[in-house]
Amino acid sequence: MTSQFIGNPAIGSPEANYTGESPVIWPAKINQIPKEIFGDEALFEEELKKIFYGDCWHAVGHTAEVPNVGDFKTFYLGRVPLLIARGKDNQVRVFFNSCTHRGNQLETSVSGNRKEFECPYHRWLFSLDGTLAACPGSKEFAPDFKQENFGLVEVKSEQFLGLIMVTLGKNTPPLTEWLGESTVPTMTALLGGDGRLKLLGYQKVQYASNWKGYNDNDGYHAPLLHTGFRLLNWQGGKGFQRMTSGGHVLFEAELKPATGNGFLKDPSLIEFKGSNPERGSVITQLFPMTVMTKHMDVINLRFAIARSHDVTEVHYAYFAHEDDSEELVKHRIRQSSNLLGPCGMVSMEDAAIFQRIHIGNQTPGFAEFQKGVTSLTEVPMNVKQNDETGNLPRWEHYRKVMGFKREGEQ
Amino acid sequence: MNQAVTVAHTSAIDALHTAYVAALDQGDMAAWADTFAVAPEASYFCISSENDRRGFPLALMYDDCRGRIDDRVSFVTKVWAGTYEPYRMRHFIQRLSCEVAGDNQYRVTSGFTIMMTPEGGATTVLTSGEYRDLIEIQGDRAVFCERRAVYDADVLPRYIVFPF
Repeated sequence: MTSQFIGNPAIGSPEANYTGESPVIWPAKINQIPKEIFGDEALFEEELKKIFYGDCWHAVGHTAEVPNVGDFKTFYLGRVPLLIARGKDNQVRVFFNSCTHRGNQLETSVSGNRKEFECPYHRWLFSLDGTLAACPGSKEFAPDFKQENFGLVEVKSEQFLGLIMVTLGKNTPPLTEWLGESTVPTMTALLGGDGRLKLLGYQKVQYASNWKGYNDNDGYHAPLLHTGFRLLNWQGGKGFQRMTSGGHVLFEAELKPATGNGFLKDPSLIEFKGSNPERGSVITQLFPMTVMTKHMDVINLRFAIARSHDVTEVHYAYFAHEDDSEELVKHRIRQSSNLLGPCGMVSMEDAAIFQRIHIGNQTPGFAEFQKGVTSLTEVPMNVKQNDETGNLPRWEHYRKVMGFKREGEQ
Repeated sequence: MNQAVTVAHTSAIDALHTAYVAALDQGDMAAWADTFAVAPEASYFCISSENDRRGFPLALMYDDCRGRIDDRVSFVTKVWAGTYEPYRMRHFIQRLSCEVAGDNQYRVTSGFTIMMTPEGGATTVLTSGEYRDLIEIQGDRAVFCERRAVYDADVLPRYIVFPF
């Protein structure tokens, strides 16, 4: 029997540890972000409690990463080790990756397939559904020991088209409510329409960047950074950028075929073979730090781990759709590998910015948002496709979750 | 194959490895591309050992034709110029096996270590790994028909500009 996690005092809750006296005073001007929040170790501890272990949902994987019974992957939410496994009943569950006996890390592999999980320390054996199947010597255990009470601790999880979301918070709203209705069409388009995805592989990398700096600059941003677009004569198509009050950002744009300008000797890198150019570029950015993108024929879910105040780890997972032809899968592999990852033609510069902005943020003052700012007091909820103000509602949400007061606010 | 590996051929293979290391350690992308065959099917893959072990085709660099090898030179020298934080590399290579694979062709595996020095910083290990190559002797020189760099790091310590 598994037990569901409903708030663990060992991990800490905001109420228990946070005094409510924030060291950060947020500027009154809506387009200024205080740079001090990017380099503060103590603040990171507070963020772990209030955001990563608080009442938020976090994407930790997709069911297509564990397609068969017994498949598992390990992951982290902040510092908390997770074990994601598919049971014999085909259900994908998320557990703390910790033996319920003395707390030993249960599974050390990044991924694999097992019939059961065995802790080597005292040979406690757990079934794929978390049940404690065996524990040698239990006749001498404490008088109140009941085997059925020592299943792996299951973390509260919900899925959206196979996207596995978890929360450690006690008062997290249901996933659909937290995502909000407006995210559904964009996320559906991104996840292949029905979430029936097939894993193609990973690119995994650490950035010397605060998680907020990573998140503020991943996803959609102005194309000026990308020399590749200019060299390829690649114009963006018409689309929209939409934000939710919960801090999520949705972006969709029509895909205009790139001429390539003769720049590439192998122009198949930027060929579009999919069937929906009107939704050729789709990005969803979920608070606090999940970026997912479907650009051309690349389906890429970026599972990120806030390791510390200055290290962010990103697992770029790439997918095909189960119904794809062999030719389309091959094309997706060729395009995914070389276009949008930490070494991608279009996106390597993004990675450089994550680190450079982290260095630059260790200075006093503010990160200033300009393009699209029309009011200095109202958080913009309607922005144009290329405005940088799309990030501001997420910052406002972050400020509220952290309890930071604006200058002059009582 | 009964054909033996000749001394002339092993020294050509050694010279190829040296040329490859010299090119990347000097950041000379054109010289890097020159170590590959000009044939359209020449290929270079840089892939994590996790993907490789699990049979996932996705790579960090998937240059499955000569055109893509040349395009990678353009990425580094034209597309990304001025955006990334510069770093220097030193490759250390140790040949592990060399077997005849056909007329003037050899399957060669080598272990590699890449040390990385960011400008203004200290030297650290970027990653280690294994090269799995198909090398052809053309006249008095050897070239890569295929080079597959399988890197050990499950998580790379930074974003990557240069091939491994």
